[in-house]
Amino acid sequence: MANPTDSLDPLFVPVRRENGEQERISRPALSAFQDSWRRLRQNKAAVISLILLGIMIVLAIVGPWLTKYSYAQTNYSAVYQSPSADHWFGTDKFGRDQWARIWQGTRISLLIAVLAAALDLVVGVAYGAISALKGGKVDNVMQRIIEILIGVPSLIIIILLMMIMKANIFTIMVAMSITGWVGMARLVRAQILKLKQQEFVLAARTLGTSNTQIIFKHLIPNTIGMIVINTMFTIPSAIFTEAFLSFIGLGLQSPQASLGVLIHDGFQTLSSHFYLLLFPALVIVVIMVAFNILGDGLRDALDPRMRK
Amino acid sequence: MKRYIAKRIVYLVLTLFIITTATFFLMKNLPGTPFDEEKLALLTQDQRDQIYASYGLDKPVIVQYVNYIGNIVQGDLGTSIYYTGQDVKDIIVDRIYPSALVGLQAILLGTVIGLILGVLAAYRHNSGWDYAAMIVSVLGVSIPNFVLAALLQYYIGLKWGILPVAFWESYDSSVLPSVALSFGVIAIIARFVRTEMLEVLQQDYIVTAKAKGLGQMAILSRHAVRNSLIPVITILGPIVVNLLTGSLVIENIFGIPGIGSLFVDSIKTNDYATIMGVTIFYSAFYVVVMLLVDILYSLVDPRIRLGSGRE
Amino acid sequence: MKKKGSLSLLALMLVFSVVLAACGNNNENASGSSSPSASAGASGSAAPSGKPINLYVENEIKNLSQWAASDDISFTVLNNVSEGLYRLDADNNPQPALAQDVAISDDKLTYTFTLRDGIQWSNGTPITAADFKYAWLGEMNPTTATNGYSFILTDYIVGGAEYAAGTGTADQVAIEAKDDKTLVVTLKQPTPFFLRLTSLVPYFPLNEAFVTSQGDQYGLAADKLIYAGPYVLESFDIAAGAVLKKNPTYWDNSNVKTDTINLKVIKEQSTALNAYKAGQIDRVTLASSDVDANKSNPEFGTGIKFRTTYLQFNTKAEGLSNVNIRKALSLAFDSNILAATILNNGSSGASGLIPDLMSGDGTKTFRELNGKVIEANIEKAKELWAQGVQELGSAPKLTLLIADTSEVKDVATFLQSEFKNNLGIDVAIDTKTSKARNELMDNNNYQMAVTAWGADYDDAMTYMDLWTNHTPYRGNYESSEYDALIANAKKETDDAKRADMLLQAEKQLVDTDAVVAPIYFGGYSFLQKSNVTGLIYHPYGNPVEFKSAVAQ
Repeated sequence: MANPTDSLDPLFVPVRRENGEQERISRPALSAFQDSWRRLRQNKAAVISLILLGIMIVLAIVGPWLTKYSYAQTNYSAVYQSPSADHWFGTDKFGRDQWARIWQGTRISLLIAVLAAALDLVVGVAYGAISALKGGKVDNVMQRIIEILIGVPSLIIIILLMMIMKANIFTIMVAMSITGWVGMARLVRAQILKLKQQEFVLAARTLGTSNTQIIFKHLIPNTIGMIVINTMFTIPSAIFTEAFLSFIGLGLQSPQASLGVLIHDGFQTLSSHFYLLLFPALVIVVIMVAFNILGDGLRDALDPRMRK
Repeated sequence: MKRYIAKRIVYLVLTLFIITTATFFLMKNLPGTPFDEEKLALLTQDQRDQIYASYGLDKPVIVQYVNYIGNIVQGDLGTSIYYTGQDVKDIIVDRIYPSALVGLQAILLGTVIGLILGVLAAYRHNSGWDYAAMIVSVLGVSIPNFVLAALLQYYIGLKWGILPVAFWESYDSSVLPSVALSFGVIAIIARFVRTEMLEVLQQDYIVTAKAKGLGQMAILSRHAVRNSLIPVITILGPIVVNLLTGSLVIENIFGIPGIGSLFVDSIKTNDYATIMGVTIFYSAFYVVVMLLVDILYSLVDPRIRLGSGRE
Repeated sequence: MKKKGSLSLLALMLVFSVVLAACGNNNENASGSSSPSASAGASGSAAPSGKPINLYVENEIKNLSQWAASDDISFTVLNNVSEGLYRLDADNNPQPALAQDVAISDDKLTYTFTLRDGIQWSNGTPITAADFKYAWLGEMNPTTATNGYSFILTDYIVGGAEYAAGTGTADQVAIEAKDDKTLVVTLKQPTPFFLRLTSLVPYFPLNEAFVTSQGDQYGLAADKLIYAGPYVLESFDIAAGAVLKKNPTYWDNSNVKTDTINLKVIKEQSTALNAYKAGQIDRVTLASSDVDANKSNPEFGTGIKFRTTYLQFNTKAEGLSNVNIRKALSLAFDSNILAATILNNGSSGASGLIPDLMSGDGTKTFRELNGKVIEANIEKAKELWAQGVQELGSAPKLTLLIADTSEVKDVATFLQSEFKNNLGIDVAIDTKTSKARNELMDNNNYQMAVTAWGADYDDAMTYMDLWTNHTPYRGNYESSEYDALIANAKKETDDAKRADMLLQAEKQLVDTDAVVAPIYFGGYSFLQKSNVTGLIYHPYGNPVEFKSAVAQ
């Protein structure tokens, strides 16, 4: 397995670069954003998803105020009420209004989702890209670090964190940032390992394109599909990780709620009060379906090869 | 390649050593003792000290560490305190089989269905198939598997009586938990295969293959699927490790005597030897799978070379 | 390309098959020990036998070595495969078991037990008084016993505490095996419940020759134990469960009507309910949310446990050092609401620290004697709170420490809402794993915590004694009056006077000093198949008796 670039180098003399030559525009001048936006708008499903997501976000913001009940207000004479005109999504075992709790919880879960996605996109993508591009020793060390992070039981670290930090969203983020980005890093690394030996990257290199430019102009755009999809998996898993962390005491404390916590609680009463699980699960599913269709649309819009 | 693998194995041992060391010292900082503190509170300090001493817990942590490393080099993982006197190696060996069987079935089932769904979705891009596959995937990840497990148990186990509700008594007992676990795998595999296939199908060599007059099935199976495997392998690596080493929730729901709950319980009860034993077992499995994944990369796509670092 | 393609798939399959092979090795091992085998069983008596009974436990069977076991599940198994001098009957009264009878001296300090004739271990060795002495001394000795239960012997038996602490010798412990049939024990103080104590697992006998021959393997498997109880273990797997078979060498085996009892491990309540409905188990404990749906079922029943959940105030913590603040919090929640709507499982709102039905002076129960020492009174709570705030200068910021179990979380949420509604204060909840919670409490790093104590024996002393050690875990409570009441009660020979002191102690602890605020008395709801009879559940100590159980 000889390195093809080794044999190519003496044969090819780099062309003297003309300004703009390598990225010559062959289509109407639209900025990348305009172009993507134009193509996204043509995708009906994506537009519907965008609207649906918008509604969810608006409900997460104003939802708790649409009912006269507060998410924390208990009422022991109205426990386990089925959905009704009074309590739209029913009440839980403490007589708290589920509608208010679900939107209050959506607020928190969306925040967790955004934070987890950001962590994935920033740390995960960068870590994976550097590891794959640098290759050799650097890759080896960086991958071994990942293995060590995964190998040391995270529950031990979580319990130790719990002893020194207050339970809040920030602590959840700290706990998640230990290994939350690892999946993305490994995936981006694998994609870039594959891409960096492909003809177009070799061509770019031969043309003298800098590393940074290769990453941002060639490698990342060609990995974007994977990145989007993986983010879609990070989000629900972050939402449920939060529920677990909250349960053992690292995260939100009662009377606060999140979608993950509501689903967990709803599960306890699955056989007797199904609606307590149904509504928060529906919210999460709607959000995730919308995210995914939008993600697919975005990917199609952003991916240079999907242009038709 | 041989040299690369040899080098990786050296690193593998080193990685395991670092994990073992880090876990050991972190674990010793966990709050509490491995004993029932409320009962110990009723004893005198001397009595408590003697109980600690009988497990060697009175010595400085560094001495305990050296002793422990000495023991594992000789293949002795120590004895559990929580499950008094049980050999940690025996506990792991006894409990890995149910977890591994359920996990393996879930992976095989999930991978096969996931691959089919993913290929279909990509091949019929933006069709009903595509959306159906996506919704299955979204449900697979946004509905926690314990909900699915409970529904399977209630309907298939109890209402229709097709399979056992719970317990680990015959092969049938492993079916429902495997199905419950496979949904997550289906979801992930289907989505990644679809995405990667969509990209692969745009590539020049597919166009070439079409131009050559190759049939659709041939294109799919020879070129497209194979070239979509890199992300699948990457994703499957950790999934294999996690599923074969058991799922706490699924094992609890189906009453499976697996290893999933052992790990969490051992940490929550400060059962030091068990924590270490399971950690070493899990990490060794993980690093070996990661090595296999890297080797598989270059088998699937010979252009990927991991050994050389010069770029 | 084609060849390489199949190669990569081959490689994938290889990974799977290697793993499969590695796991396959233990196939027989694991399934062999967990699957119940045919119920051939050795039945020594001609008594007609009932069907196998299938029951479950809610967690793993951690260990079956008597000196190591300290949890309900291990006790459940041990109580049915072994036996003490006495065994509790259906009314929780001690009945002679391995002992035939006992002679108690007039000063109530010396107990002379006479063992039954012909009792033997399952390996044929006779059970002798020496077996009891050996087991009891071993439990007291911290180098052999690690379950922390030595107090349940050393608190009563002369010389025990000194031996346990290493200041006395085994010879000085007042347990004497006069001959094979006679065991003489001398107590430090009159102990009206001593016969009940002898029904507990730490008081069971152990055969020295057998225990020594097994070394550190003792109790790790069914064949590493010998049995003195109504059943023997046929197999036992920590995580899967145990199979119990009728013990042909048991002295009372003609009254054991069931050949096989299968004990499974089910950790998830919903799973247990499904398994019950599917006919795989004969009894199930219900989750509170399932109670309403099953209340009208003729198989439904409830029971109680001697287990009080209470709020422990740290009397040295900021804000809670003020007794009026503590009292205000104690009176500000109505635990009957908690028990009726949220727990809804047979638990009841606490009217004191000592649970309902626990014995008092021998004729009446403790609760009948002491009445309500705590009852919600919102008006008074508000008044006391205002008074406390005035004394402190400002309203204290409060945090409630809890462990991470679902039930305790519900209790905490309830208390939080009651404090908010009734006192208008925001109490933060701090959840920790139980080990972390214990450490915070031991380190005096908490204000108030939800705690529970399950009775070891049927006497108020099992609770009242806890607050005499002045530790942070017990709220740093230090009261010479309280200590004196307990110390005197321990010496008192007159049951009525003794009870009176304990009644006063409870009032002082809960009402006058408001060190603890009792929340609820534990209970449970269950379904039990109508063809199963004779299962006896005790509210304390050994949880359940299979001896008389029979399935038609």
